[in-house]
Amino acid sequence: MKQFTTYVTAVIIALLLIPAMVIAEDGGDKQRDLSIWLGGHTTEFTDNTKKVGEYNKGENEFLPEFMLDYYMKSGNKMMSLNGHFYDDENIDAHYKLTIGNKFKAKIDFGSMVAQKGRDLLENIGAKKGPKMLSYTLLDEDADYKTKRSDIEGDYQLLLSKTNNIRLLAAHRSTIETGHEQKISTGHCANCHQVSRKLEVDRQTHTVEAGVAGEAGKFDLAYLFGYRTFKSNAPDAINHYDDARHPTNTVITGSDTTYTASAGEFVPRLIYQDTTLPYGVYPETEKMSHKLKVKGDVGKGRFAGAVSISQAKNKHTNLTTDAVSGVANYAVLLNPKTRLLTKLNVSQIQADDAIIDLPTHREGLSGPTQDFDYTFYSSLDRTTAGLSAELIRKVNPKLTASLKAGYSMVDRDDYPVYQNGTKTSKMFGQVKLRHRKGLTYSTNFKYRFEKITDPYVSGRGLFESKGRGVILPLDTVQPGYPGWVFYYQREELRYQDITTMPTEKHDIEWSSNWCPNSKVGINMGMKIGLDKNNDLDSLDVKQTSMQPNLSINFNPNSKISLTTGFSYTQYDSRGPVTIALFDG
Amino acid sequence: MICSVSGNRERKGVCARLLLAALAVCLTISMTVSAEVENSICADCHDEVSEMFHNSTHGIVFSGDPSLEKASCESCHGSAVDHANDGDPELIINPANQDQFGAKELCLSCHKDHGFDDWAFSSHNAADVTCADCHQVHVAAGTQPVSTTEMCYNCHGDVRATMHMPSAHPVAEGKMTCQNCHDPHGGSTKFALEADSRELCFTCHAGKEGPFAYEHAPVNEDCMICHNPHGTVADNMLKQSEPTLCLNCHPMHFHTAGIGEDRTDYAIDGEPGRTLNSSPTAWKSSMLTKCTQCHTVIHGSDNPSQEIPAQGQGLTR
Repeated sequence: MKQFTTYVTAVIIALLLIPAMVIAEDGGDKQRDLSIWLGGHTTEFTDNTKKVGEYNKGENEFLPEFMLDYYMKSGNKMMSLNGHFYDDENIDAHYKLTIGNKFKAKIDFGSMVAQKGRDLLENIGAKKGPKMLSYTLLDEDADYKTKRSDIEGDYQLLLSKTNNIRLLAAHRSTIETGHEQKISTGHCANCHQVSRKLEVDRQTHTVEAGVAGEAGKFDLAYLFGYRTFKSNAPDAINHYDDARHPTNTVITGSDTTYTASAGEFVPRLIYQDTTLPYGVYPETEKMSHKLKVKGDVGKGRFAGAVSISQAKNKHTNLTTDAVSGVANYAVLLNPKTRLLTKLNVSQIQADDAIIDLPTHREGLSGPTQDFDYTFYSSLDRTTAGLSAELIRKVNPKLTASLKAGYSMVDRDDYPVYQNGTKTSKMFGQVKLRHRKGLTYSTNFKYRFEKITDPYVSGRGLFESKGRGVILPLDTVQPGYPGWVFYYQREELRYQDITTMPTEKHDIEWSSNWCPNSKVGINMGMKIGLDKNNDLDSLDVKQTSMQPNLSINFNPNSKISLTTGFSYTQYDSRGPVTIALFDG
Repeated sequence: MICSVSGNRERKGVCARLLLAALAVCLTISMTVSAEVENSICADCHDEVSEMFHNSTHGIVFSGDPSLEKASCESCHGSAVDHANDGDPELIINPANQDQFGAKELCLSCHKDHGFDDWAFSSHNAADVTCADCHQVHVAAGTQPVSTTEMCYNCHGDVRATMHMPSAHPVAEGKMTCQNCHDPHGGSTKFALEADSRELCFTCHAGKEGPFAYEHAPVNEDCMICHNPHGTVADNMLKQSEPTLCLNCHPMHFHTAGIGEDRTDYAIDGEPGRTLNSSPTAWKSSMLTKCTQCHTVIHGSDNPSQEIPAQGQGLTR
């Protein structure tokens, strides 16, 4: 964090000094404006502070705050700095520098706090026969919040006027600090939750660099991107309890004699009676190359982009490779009709990995079972989309458009290796816009989607009533205990379950009216209906209704008053009932 | 929508519209034509606009840049000769009336920044939203009366409602704006490294991208299967509260159906100091309250959960 603060300070000082010197040396007329605003605030929450004030600490005392606006201009050089100090954890600063058409810089800094509630775990605690569930709090009275600081810069430098060649650069650094609740989960016979207060120190850094220019009638741009994510906080550590039978007092372990029933639990687990890190953040890096082209082709306008990227998790050396392409073409078919076409294709391939697990029931009498498997990422897929929109100027005030398209996601290995599902979607949309300059406008949109084989959970539901009886393992394979294992039930799942619709209807209406330059009245309504009647479990239905009305009054350029009413109602009916009572 | 500073009237004169279109095409070809009507003549009638313009972003840029010294009112409004003679607002280009049919690049003829690459294909453009719908060209720099977010809400009022729900991105608090996620000009999102909707979320939540050895499939599918980034009633912008959300795709643990023992301060053998409370409904409260109390690394993990038959895929560690 100290390093980051130093970096931010150095960048800000440099960017303040350099243009100041450049502009000071300029012999032309200079203009400087400085305004400082001093004020204060107080906030009071009476209940559920962290719920309603997640991003506001809600200090009951009166706190000072100030804002600063500085503007400097000389000739074609311009610099501005705006800052707002709300409190020591909420600071914003924005900096802009323009030197004619040659150089542009824009830097934004912002910090904020997100408060999180503490999970009390009071609902954890149950016992019945050979199963029990308990918890331990090691973070009582902990106050959880995370501060997020973000600095982002965007730069352009004109290298050559001949082909308008520009050097492009951007960076962004996000630092998250504070504390978070980390709960560890011990499983099997002795389910034990332990809650701890852990430090947060996560860093995300992104840089982009590239070059843009003109080549003939085309504009070209190349961009390289690199992003890293890392947590510098110490790992959370948990001691995973001995696996043992909860109703027998015999402790299990490598050097302990245990009863047959208690011993069942040791070789069911990958690890037990050991101390291990948990909740560990990955350390990732992502690299990308992107080539963009735009220009006039025939009578229309073309823009396309090709990008390749690779994401890597340094902890596991797993990588994901993606390649994607986009091509858009817009053409005026006649003075009143325009056609817009879009095409996108992408392919993602992730590494496979062999997961080597201890043998189930190893060391016990009777058969054993090997649960080793090869991990095939559900990310492996090919996606494609194609759409066409015909836009017609019906009359000077009315524009109508008709849009249709198709998209698909072809999953390689999800839910089953080399037998993934393919989701396809067809949609149609009609839009109308009636407008009179900036004084009045009304928009209406209806969109319909038909989806075939939407994403479903790979695990599915348990068998339904009457499907059959699961036989104890010893009846299937002699030598096993005469029990029904949990995983046997999982293998019998066959019903599809999802919240994804196969049919979607969306209706939107909005109207805006500005009777004069100081008043604006806006109203609208959005209605949605999603349903899926194709499941073999239960129908899914989701509806939404969102009316809204707002009035803006701007008596002058410094005062803006807004009042409004907005309402959202969601209603969802899904197969959750089956899941609850199954088993 | 931002209200126009100047009023405008519609007339049905076809000739006037053809003239406008022709002027716009000419303007697109060359923005630096010499002024046929001096700015001072425009200011005679439009004194308020003229005064404001000097302090506008355009006014500031024009005044100091030698390459733009010929820029005038006519640079954007086209030839003002007929309008100046007749006074008819139909006889001059009003950017507020520009649309995607022909003269759409009035502003883009100067604003060639790569951020506008996709404007021709953007939803706003296709919906007949013009530059002037959102940008006030004549007002003093930095004094746009309506905040950017409020401007978006004017047409997307449904989002205003969800953004004020108990769990939402901090847009209402002024810590984010709509543009942090959306590009109103239709361009590719800043820092979007690939054409993938998840990538937008990972620009800020990079720790959830992986790739992980133990995945949660919907994370690889679409973040919005579980989350509504515009805000929800449930915590963490989840579309529904736990466990309902999870149970839309997952069956419940069979323990839930069990009846717990009715005892308090139950001693745990071999673990002195640890006790537990149990009630007849204890299993239900434990298993039907919040799944992520146990499945804490729900976005994916590199470490296996404990059970062998579950193949370490429980996302508990």
